[in-house]
Amino acid sequence: MPSSPDSETNTGASEGRHTDLCLRSRLRNRVVSNTKLRLFVQFVTWVAILTLFTETVVAGNGMTLSKQPRDTLAIPRWLYLATGGATIGASALLASFVTDRAFIRYLHNWSLSGPTVDNWRTPFVWVGRGLGVVVLGLAVYLGVTGPQLPTASFTILVTFVVVRAGLPMLTYLGGNLWPVLNPWRGIVSLLPTGFRTYPEGLARWPAVGGLLLLVWVEVIFPVSTIPSVLSIAILGYSVVTIAGAVLVGPNAWFKNADPLSVLFRFFGAVAPVKRRDGKLAVKLPGSDLTDSDLITDTSDVAFVIALIWELTYSGFITTQTGAATIETLVNLSNIGVGAVQIRAILIYTLLFVSGYVVFFGAYWYAGVVSRRRTGTYITAKRIAFRFAPSLLAIAAGYHLAHYTGLAVSLSPALGMAIVSPLSPPANPLTLSPPGWFEGLSIAYVLVGHLLAIWAAHATAYELFSSRLVAIRSQYPFIVVMIGYTVISLWILSLPGATPPYLP
Amino acid sequence: MSHTATTIPRNDSPAGKCDYCGHPFPTTDRLVLHKGLEHPQQLDDSEVEAFHEARSNETDELRTLRLKALGALVLLYFGLLFMYAIFA
Repeated sequence: MPSSPDSETNTGASEGRHTDLCLRSRLRNRVVSNTKLRLFVQFVTWVAILTLFTETVVAGNGMTLSKQPRDTLAIPRWLYLATGGATIGASALLASFVTDRAFIRYLHNWSLSGPTVDNWRTPFVWVGRGLGVVVLGLAVYLGVTGPQLPTASFTILVTFVVVRAGLPMLTYLGGNLWPVLNPWRGIVSLLPTGFRTYPEGLARWPAVGGLLLLVWVEVIFPVSTIPSVLSIAILGYSVVTIAGAVLVGPNAWFKNADPLSVLFRFFGAVAPVKRRDGKLAVKLPGSDLTDSDLITDTSDVAFVIALIWELTYSGFITTQTGAATIETLVNLSNIGVGAVQIRAILIYTLLFVSGYVVFFGAYWYAGVVSRRRTGTYITAKRIAFRFAPSLLAIAAGYHLAHYTGLAVSLSPALGMAIVSPLSPPANPLTLSPPGWFEGLSIAYVLVGHLLAIWAAHATAYELFSSRLVAIRSQYPFIVVMIGYTVISLWILSLPGATPPYLP
Repeated sequence: MSHTATTIPRNDSPAGKCDYCGHPFPTTDRLVLHKGLEHPQQLDDSEVEAFHEARSNETDELRTLRLKALGALVLLYFGLLFMYAIFA
């Protein structure tokens, strides 16, 4: 097939004396064959990329198979990934059949109003924040004085099973309770605050930095294994949070700079239960992801992408392929300077930052392409802002996929640690989730993406008056979402490992 | 849908601006559709008529797009089906 344009030209040269008509048809043939050639080249490139990809996967397995011969996939990995990507693509195609604006608006405005909660809010907040402060104090105290076994430590179980896994799940599956529970807000409400005004230009950048820093600390330092280290980390976080909130006032601080509050606020946007005008209301999950006032700054987009990336990253480094990648990179970086541990930390950080930049860049570029392809005068930035909330559904799906196993397996230990925080059992019970939990994780990732596809579709209809433009504007974002899905499904299919070189 | 977040490329001339909110549009069709959807109360008869015409034109184009989407779905379905028949 690559020789076909040459043969076309040869036959063309021998028939040079023919009429104008013939010439034109030949020209058209030439054009067709050029297109064919281009398609062929694209096809070859894709096949090459896919082959390389699957081969590295196989190589990654081969390196580590001797340790743990576990591969539960009954179909080739590329086919599993292609199916996942195709699911997203097919649902986007299906969504494009729904062109009835009124119907979309109806679905997104549907709500069931519940009881009035504002009268109860003040006592709720007092009880919730009081509880939060007690738990925070106990966590710091018991981390230093309690048992140093991770599965028996109140500090580690509360931090990772409750705050890292359970509360976000409660937030995106139910509603955002964090403003009621936030212990730091409880402490700050007793102090004099507001000595400076929060600089508006900073927007949510401090929260983005804070979130990335928290994840970095979680990876590099043994906060999830040594309770006393975690205690110090919590103390450090508390000092920064209280100082910041006292300086600029709690409202500005917890809205803009506190990573946990911003995280829960964003996850709360996916939730079905909301507080509207002093009443509780039940909406369809994700129906608020078309709100234009959720994302108002580049830092908000950066935060949403950071949510997706940190889950991808911590998933990746805990697989055998991830561990092998880190080991290879650390060995490659051996230039005779620096201890192995320092180089490993550098590699971890570099991978963390560069992956984040790639994820963010891919999303931002989708906004630029979307603008160029539709020829709209709405800025690429604004398009990126409007489509970013739909990514929150993806982040929620990833979170559920990555943390359900942890939450279930450590829940008995957590129960015991809560019942008797001062004298936990020496040998706490941990469950091992059954095999179908892995299938469930795949389902969570896919459902998150499907919700995101729908939210993007509805957003496009709000943003563009022309239905054709609305459909075309989504294409680049769908491609990015397919990319995120494939990467996430790939990570879920890899056998687990402990990240190397870390204490 | 505020008109504040729009820019017009330097070598591009907009087909028109919305009289009510100032939003520029690259084609008249899109401008007409925008007026009909965002400012339905303020339109005069000719504008309403133009809106309905643009909308029916758009519906025709949407039908073509739907057919293409259906074709892509069929291709995707059978492609995967054959892949599974061969590799799984």
